[in-house]
Amino acid sequence: MVATTLESSGRLQKKNIIRFAPILIIGIILFILPSFIPHYLVGLFTLTFIFAIFAMSLDIVLGYTGLLSIMHASFFGIAAYTAAVLMVKMGINSFWVGFPCGILIAGILAAIAGVVLLRVHGIYFLIASLCLGYMVYSITWGWDYLEMYQSKGIMGIDFPGIGIPGFTFTEVSYCRFSFLLFLLCFYLLYRFVNSPFGYSLRGIREDEERMQVLGYNTWFYKFAVFIIGALFAGVAGVLFAYCNTTVEPEHLGFSYSTYAILMVILGGSGTLFGPPIGAALLVFLEFYTGIVSPERWPLILGLILILTIMFSRGGIGLHLQRLWKKVLPS
Amino acid sequence: MTFEQIFINLLNGISFGVILFLLASGLTMVYGIMGIVNLAHGALYMVGAYVGWSVAIQHGFSYWMATLTGGIVAGFVGLVMERATLRYLYRQINEQVLVTIGFIYVLTNLTQWIWGPRPRAPFTAGMLSGTIQFWGCSYPIHRLTVILIGIVISIAIWWFQEKTRIGAMIQAGMDDKEMTMGLGINLNRISVILFFICSFVAGFAGVIGAQLLGATLGQGFHILGLALVVVIIGGTGSVGGALIGGLILGIFDSFINALVPQIGMWAMYLIAVIVLLVRPQGIMGGRMK
Repeated sequence: MVATTLESSGRLQKKNIIRFAPILIIGIILFILPSFIPHYLVGLFTLTFIFAIFAMSLDIVLGYTGLLSIMHASFFGIAAYTAAVLMVKMGINSFWVGFPCGILIAGILAAIAGVVLLRVHGIYFLIASLCLGYMVYSITWGWDYLEMYQSKGIMGIDFPGIGIPGFTFTEVSYCRFSFLLFLLCFYLLYRFVNSPFGYSLRGIREDEERMQVLGYNTWFYKFAVFIIGALFAGVAGVLFAYCNTTVEPEHLGFSYSTYAILMVILGGSGTLFGPPIGAALLVFLEFYTGIVSPERWPLILGLILILTIMFSRGGIGLHLQRLWKKVLPS
Repeated sequence: MTFEQIFINLLNGISFGVILFLLASGLTMVYGIMGIVNLAHGALYMVGAYVGWSVAIQHGFSYWMATLTGGIVAGFVGLVMERATLRYLYRQINEQVLVTIGFIYVLTNLTQWIWGPRPRAPFTAGMLSGTIQFWGCSYPIHRLTVILIGIVISIAIWWFQEKTRIGAMIQAGMDDKEMTMGLGINLNRISVILFFICSFVAGFAGVIGAQLLGATLGQGFHILGLALVVVIIGGTGSVGGALIGGLILGIFDSFINALVPQIGMWAMYLIAVIVLLVRPQGIMGGRMK
C-alpha cells in the first residue's frame, strides 16, 4: 500500500519534471538569449514580453469571463502615462514609485469604468466600453498638460532607477527584467484562473443566469475581474512606457485595444499560454511588415483578424493544446 | 449668447444631428433584425464620402450623382461584408464585432491606398453654395439642405417601415424572429436587403456629411463613436430613438463647442455615461439583450 503510493508519487514527480522541462528550457534560453542577439531583436523581445502581459490581462476578462471590453488599452495607456508624467514632468525616476502608481491609477480607472459598464450586458457592454475608451482617448488628446514640444505625447522617458547602487538598466537587462515580470504575472494569473474564483469566472462565461441562480453575485465577480485585468494591463503599461521612451494618445486608443484583442484571439482565448504566443507573432510580424511596407500594416492586421475569426476560432493555443495532449497523454 | 447665435447653433446642431441619425438608424435597424452590431458602419460612411468626392470633384459630375454613387458603392461593400463573413456568424456577437473591427482596418487602409492620406475639404453642389438671409442672420444653404434631406429620409424610413410590405416583414422580424420565419417569410433575404439599404444610407450620409465635415481617414473611427453614443441614448432597435438621440447629440455638440470648446471632444461620451447610469436601456427603451 505504502509502496504503491510512493511509486505513484514518484511517477507523478517524474511526469511533472517531463512536463515542465520544455518550459524550463525555453525559459532559460529566453533568459540568456538577450546577451547574444542583435540590438533590435532585444527590443522586440522586450516588447513581446510586455505585450504578452497585456494580452494575458485581457484574456482573463475576454477569454475566461467572456466580457469583450474594447477599452482595455485605456488601462495600459493610463499606466504608461502615469509613469511618464512621474518621470518626465515630476522628475521622480524611481521604479518603486512609478510602478505602483501606474498600476493604482489603472485600477482606479477600471473601478470607475466598471461601475458604469457593468450596468449593462452583452452587446451594450461592448458598445459602452468602446465609448468609454473613446472618452479616455479624447481627454488625453485634448489635455494640454500631456503635451510636449507642441506635439501630443510625452517624450524622453528613460529606464527607471531601481534603487540598487551601481546598477542601471541597459536594453539587455531591461529585457531580462521584463521577462522576469512576465513570468511573475504568468504565475499569478495561472494561480488566479485555477482558483475557485477563476472557475466561477468560467461559469459566468458559459451561463451567467445559472451562476446567479446558484447564488453567485456575478456582478461582483465581473467587477473584480475587470479591475484585476486592468491592474495587470497597468503592469504592462508601465513597463512599456519605460522602454518605448515616448507615450502617445494612440497608446490608450482603439488601435491598441484591438492589438490586445487580436493577440488573445490569435493565440487562443481562454488559455493562458495562448496570448503570449499571439503577442510574439504580432510584434514580430509588425516589425517585419514595417521593413517591407509600413503603410499596409493595418490592412494586414484587419485581414488577420477576419481570417482568424472565420477559420481558426480557437486560435493557435487550441492546436498547441491538442499537440501537447498527443505528445504527453496523461 | 445672442438670439442669432443660439439660432445658428441650433441649426448647426440639427444638421449635424441629422447625419448622426442617418448613421445610427442603419446601425440600430441592422442590430434590431439581424442582431449584428456593425462597427464598420463608420468606415462605410467614410468610403461613401471619398467616393462622393471622386465623383463630384475629381470627375466633375453633379453632386446628386455623387450622393447616389457613394451610397451604392458603400451598399455593395456592405453586401460583400455580409455575404463573405457576417452570415456565417449568426448569433455570435463577439465574433461579429471582431470581424467588423477587422473591416474597419481593411476599409480605412484600402481607402488610404486609393485616395492617399490627404483629407478632403468639404464640398457641395454648385447650386447649394452660398448663404440665405432670414431674420437678419445669414445661413449657408447647404446646411439647410442637410436638414431637409434628413426630414425627407426620416419620412422615407417611416414610410418604408410602416407602409410597405418589406417594412412590415422587417418589423415583424425585429419583434419575433422565429414566429416570422414560421409564417414562411424568408427573413434571410430580407436581412440581405436590409443590410444593403443600411450600408447605402451610411454611404449616402457620408456624401451628405461631406458638405460639413469633408472626408478624412479618421472618420471611420470618429463618427462611429458618435453614432454609438446615439444608439446608447436612443436605445437599440428603434429608429425613433435614433432620431431623438441624433438630434440631442447634434445640438448638444454644437452648443458645447460654442460655449466650452475645451471639453467639446469628449463631452458627448459623458452623455453616454450618464444615460448608462440613469437609464441603461436608452430613452426609447428598446429591449435589453
